[in-house]
Amino acid sequence: MRTDRIVRCLRCVSAIAVLMTARAASGQASKGLDSATAAAIAPIVEQARDEKLPVAPLYAKAREGQVQRVPVVKIEAAVRTLADRMRAANEALAPDASEQELHAAADAIKSGVPAETLRAMRKAGGDGSLAVPIGVLTQLIARGVPVERASMEVVALLQKGAVARNFIALEESVRQDVLAGRRPDESLDLRLKGIIPNLPQAANADATGLSASSPKRPR
Amino acid sequence: MHDINEERDELIGRIVSELRTLPTVPADATARVLARVDAARESERPGRFSRRLIISLPAAIGYALAATLAGFLIRGAVPRRPEATVAEVPIPPVAGTLGAGTKIVPATANRRALQEAPVTVQFVLDAPRAKSVMVVGDFNAWDGSRTPLERDSTTGVWSALVDVHPGRHVYAFLVDGKTWMLDPRAPRTKDLDYGTQQSVLMVGLP
Repeated sequence: MRTDRIVRCLRCVSAIAVLMTARAASGQASKGLDSATAAAIAPIVEQARDEKLPVAPLYAKAREGQVQRVPVVKIEAAVRTLADRMRAANEALAPDASEQELHAAADAIKSGVPAETLRAMRKAGGDGSLAVPIGVLTQLIARGVPVERASMEVVALLQKGAVARNFIALEESVRQDVLAGRRPDESLDLRLKGIIPNLPQAANADATGLSASSPKRPR
Repeated sequence: MHDINEERDELIGRIVSELRTLPTVPADATARVLARVDAARESERPGRFSRRLIISLPAAIGYALAATLAGFLIRGAVPRRPEATVAEVPIPPVAGTLGAGTKIVPATANRRALQEAPVTVQFVLDAPRAKSVMVVGDFNAWDGSRTPLERDSTTGVWSALVDVHPGRHVYAFLVDGKTWMLDPRAPRTKDLDYGTQQSVLMVGLP
């Protein structure tokens, strides 16, 4: 009887602690938001939380709008759109996307990258983080490389064993070429020729014809 | 010969019949034996408290929650062992920023977590007449109060070191609490949600 009482008491205390922790985390994430914005996005945040999506990026998107003095209606629409993108990103990178990958994938989807590309990247990238490759893909598209072309090349690079430093080097090279006046897709062609031959699985990938633009390795 | 076999079978039959018949036991003897068995079982029981733990699932859940809560409560009071490290990783310069410092990477992290370990990035803005400068971006949840820049009194250059995860990030400077300013050292992009220009930061691995 006494044990029952102790167990019941401990259960109550634990439940209160869990609620307080969740409330504190939510309060921290929503810190700095005015009451109108917080109320407008609350249902979107709750739904995302129910779906086990990270909610911090949703609060961040709202704060981004608030810092720029965007009207609440527009902030609410942006947060809703971001939630949709995160949902799509989560499905594409299932089963265990990290928060960084979700952030990158949601941005990529915003730039027009299809979910199939993200699935192909997950398959090609193994257990490595896709945050940098997806980020570079988004930036290549932002520079003017067509979505299909950029998607195909990034997936091919992953299949050939490219790692984060290869992607960063590619993006930086394209950036410098574009600043020097070269067309983005021309620059991508040029710079891939410098990167692909040095990748670990380039020979195997070439043999299977995984990349349309893979240059032949010197024999 | 036949007679001998018949006699033997009859004898065996009688023996089996005798063995199958249980001896009569006095009623008080049975009661005494059962009492002894009960006493022996009682002495082997680990006690009421632990028996309840074994048979009661809700109680077990309650104890687990209580242990978790106790862990949360005493976590801050118990000195934590320093985390093992694999390396002090030098931080390379990043586009639009100046590299600085080193970052300790936890050895216990798995491959993906290791690849996503934050890198220290330096943000720099020449704004000699500004009274305050903050950097706001997706890496600090657009909360400028988290990342104020410090002014070098001799050069008038504002700078701050920020831990940023590898990947693509967007940001801007907030000058004097209200003026949105892009980083002149970094590439720019247009945000499709709010339609504003933002600076782009690509962060690689340490």
